[in-house]
Amino acid sequence: MGNTGLYIATGVAAFFFLIPFYVLLRNALSTDPQITGEHWEFFPTNLQWGNVKELFDDPQVDFAQSLWNSTVVAVAMTVGILLVCSLAGYALARIPYKHANKIFYVVLGTLMVPTSVTFVPSFVLVSSLGWVDTYRGLIIPGLFSGFTCFLFRQYFLGFPKELEEAARVDGLGYWGAYWRVVVPNSLNFFAAIATITFINAWNAFLWPLVIGQDPGAWTVQVVLSSYMTNQTVVFHTIFMATAISILPLLFVFLFLQRWLVQGIAQTGIKG
Amino acid sequence: MSALSNDNWSRRSIFRAAAGMAAAGTLAACGGNNGRGGGSGSGPQLNQMFHAYGEAGTEQAIKRYAAAYKDASVNTQWITSADFESKLFATLLTKNAPDLFEFHPQIQMVKSGQVADLSDIVNPVKDDFNPADITSHTVDGKIYGVRMIDDPQFFFYRPSLFKKAGVKVPETLDELIEAAAKLTTGKVKGLYVGNDLHAIVNPLIWSAGADTLNAKNEIAYHTPEVVEGLKKMRKLFTSGDLLLGAPTDYWDPSSLVQGLCAIQFCGMWAMPVFQKAFGDDLGIFPFPKTVDSGKQSVYNGGWSMFVNAKGKNVDAAKEYVKWLWIDQKKYQEDWATSYGFHIPPRKSIAATATKLKSGLPAEGVKLFNEFGHFDNIGWTQAMIQASWDVMANCVRKSGDPEKALDECDKTVNRELKKLFG
Amino acid sequence: MSTTTKLDLASPAPAKASPAKPRRGLWGSRTFNFWLFAAPFLIGLIVFIYVPIGWSIYLSFFDARFTVTPDKFIGLENYTYMLTDPKFVGSLGTFTVFAAFIVPTTWALSLSLALLVNRLKFMRAFFRSVFFLPTACSYVAASLIWKMSLFSGVRFGLANTVIGWFGIDNIAWLISPNPPWYWLVIVTARLWLQSGFYMILFIAALQNIPEELYEAAAIDGAKRGWQTFRHITLPQLRATSTAVVLLLLIAAYQAFDEFFNLLDKTTWGRPPLVELYYTALGTEQDYGAGSAGAVILTVLIIIVTLLQGKILGFGRGDESK
Repeated sequence: MGNTGLYIATGVAAFFFLIPFYVLLRNALSTDPQITGEHWEFFPTNLQWGNVKELFDDPQVDFAQSLWNSTVVAVAMTVGILLVCSLAGYALARIPYKHANKIFYVVLGTLMVPTSVTFVPSFVLVSSLGWVDTYRGLIIPGLFSGFTCFLFRQYFLGFPKELEEAARVDGLGYWGAYWRVVVPNSLNFFAAIATITFINAWNAFLWPLVIGQDPGAWTVQVVLSSYMTNQTVVFHTIFMATAISILPLLFVFLFLQRWLVQGIAQTGIKG
Repeated sequence: MSALSNDNWSRRSIFRAAAGMAAAGTLAACGGNNGRGGGSGSGPQLNQMFHAYGEAGTEQAIKRYAAAYKDASVNTQWITSADFESKLFATLLTKNAPDLFEFHPQIQMVKSGQVADLSDIVNPVKDDFNPADITSHTVDGKIYGVRMIDDPQFFFYRPSLFKKAGVKVPETLDELIEAAAKLTTGKVKGLYVGNDLHAIVNPLIWSAGADTLNAKNEIAYHTPEVVEGLKKMRKLFTSGDLLLGAPTDYWDPSSLVQGLCAIQFCGMWAMPVFQKAFGDDLGIFPFPKTVDSGKQSVYNGGWSMFVNAKGKNVDAAKEYVKWLWIDQKKYQEDWATSYGFHIPPRKSIAATATKLKSGLPAEGVKLFNEFGHFDNIGWTQAMIQASWDVMANCVRKSGDPEKALDECDKTVNRELKKLFG
Repeated sequence: MSTTTKLDLASPAPAKASPAKPRRGLWGSRTFNFWLFAAPFLIGLIVFIYVPIGWSIYLSFFDARFTVTPDKFIGLENYTYMLTDPKFVGSLGTFTVFAAFIVPTTWALSLSLALLVNRLKFMRAFFRSVFFLPTACSYVAASLIWKMSLFSGVRFGLANTVIGWFGIDNIAWLISPNPPWYWLVIVTARLWLQSGFYMILFIAALQNIPEELYEAAAIDGAKRGWQTFRHITLPQLRATSTAVVLLLLIAAYQAFDEFFNLLDKTTWGRPPLVELYYTALGTEQDYGAGSAGAVILTVLIIIVTLLQGKILGFGRGDESK
């Protein structure tokens, strides 16, 4: 394949990948009659920036609140998962303990059961703790990701032992070595996992759908879904909301992309 | 090591930031009391759950009524999603269960002890209610819910389009299919009955001279006439004259208003919007006869208030229901006629509701009285679901109607056995 | 690696006779340290994953309708009901079809994109970003764009506008199961959403392939193209490919969001989780049958995973190294 062919193929693929973004922006900045009109208007000339204001002024749905909820949940989940899962992954990889293998299988076992399968009893459990409609209910049950723990374990298995031994020589215990040597030398991997976790937390739907009973506790995704089945459909608001819901992640992405790629390359997510 | 060395990033600062964020999360979690306790009155805290009505002003109205109540502080959960049943059922199992909620009369809620007996508050005014609305909420002589509104469902159309296409108002399903074909032009489809057709299952059964269940709570829908009706629906579905894949469901007036179709199945509630869009160029007709031996029908849906018998404040909730939906006739009339149009179940209110006295609304009331079928409390959500599956299996999918009905029978019989032994 | 681990196991860690004083007492205890590190995670795992699983198993033997604290034991009735329920059994079929299609397609598309992007000389970052950006979008957002605009069944849907230019009538993409256009909608949405992520994995792996391999092949007369791709690139990507296939399978198992948001009141196109949602949390509220379904599903998943482990050697790689 020549260079021209290469660029044509990539360009065509990119064109298709960009269509949804185009549709999203076009609809978000149009009026409803433009969207539902007889003929498809490719590039509306009078962009309706007022749609942004209209979205946030909507008395029926507190969109700003849902953005805030999603932010709190995603940030807290990212920090929590990194902390809890990395520590456990490290223990499983590096701290010799006679039952470590058995415990590893306990963790592996959860990989086989999609959490969504058990979300009915999970919901009942969480609600009997009184956590429905709270950030706790949205965040804490999702922190114990067997998969993330597994990834950390795999990563730490490949972490250079010499570094830790040097730390040990300096008189540091496991705890000290972990925070002073292991973590600072693993920031790339942490950043990669953080990015993925943040995206997943921001985009999660099923659990927030069930936990957020009160509209005040809804995350952005639940609000979007409710737009789709709402009794009245206002297209430009719906698409503006979708566009704004994606915006923070696009920034996260463009900013962290290199990091994410490097993190993945470094660890290789081994099979 | 990567180019992104740690030099620029003091790792301490990163962790300090991380810890800060975690703390912020915890603090926020403590303050995560989302809008509860919004009511005005003193006394116990009550939570009520509503599905989101499409008409502007409805949410404010419900909250306004609640704010006017002095003996309890009433908070409203307004569920803006079509998934209302699931949300309601799931929440009822939890500590956060609402004290009162709106729903339709279904016997499993009674059998499982979920809804409280409201006989003592309804009985004194029983005679003022539409008798059908009492019957549909009664099990073994006890009344379990208070009807707020009755919502007849029928077809809306534009007479001018009919005239242009030379179509008369259809009285049989065959005529309806024919009309849909004649009214279909390029970008406008003849008919819209909702994307998944679930809304017309019951009318189709009634118009075939059958019923969902008979008086002895046995299957009554599995008749040759219904099978014939399903075959006709399949013909209509594949004709290309039916609007499918519309962005809004049948309950939303948009499809007809936006000119996507010429006839739309919808409800009385949407009448004000249609009238605003088309003025006098608007007519209604009931679901036509499925077969010649049948009778036209109208589904009288609606919403009722129930009290959660497993809630913490059953008595306070009953008091509130009595205050608002029995005593406050002004609010009841406001609720039934100020936003969408609904028929008040109370005779005394219906008699004074001037908005429903003339013109098209009066015609809607006439269809309601003449052709209406009310909810059967024995026809539960699981059975309703099974009947929707019939539509999916033999109208949208090219299945055999007999087989689809057999499958439905299996589910319905399982339910009946659980409920009635 | 495991050799070193074993050595460590056999002799205490500071056995290097270092001058530093080894930690004594609690902080030096491995057992204590292990639990210090792992306890928060393990406790959470038990409370929020194992307890609900146990609860599910318990519920599956009871008549649990509209309650999660049932008292009527009915033995295996829920299991026989689910296993003879055409919808539940059908959902397993749906999953199989879905996975059989989406896994190879995503694999092929993301690998192709990676190969393309990897060969670009300029505008590489731009194209990589274009393919990667959809990963930022949620399934809900994509469902919304697909359902309300791209594949809307009416005239103002983009797909219908485009086919309208060729004089084809509007298609209700998501409504009618034959022809099953809904698969087109679901598959394109999923491809758009997840290809970019796996492309990144492949790009990372491609860059790890030593250039010498290609140089050596060139000396042997192999043409750069299909030959080197087949004999060098593909084998070198084996580990990544395996991981990608596994991740894709897991993702397919968990498919819920777009099916839930795109398809209304169908009896087809429902993967198992959607079916379970409707059985347990939907209007039927049958937690007993729903839990039985969950248990059946879990057992199936475990069997498949174990078989897969046998075949692909997954999860053993690090121990054998």
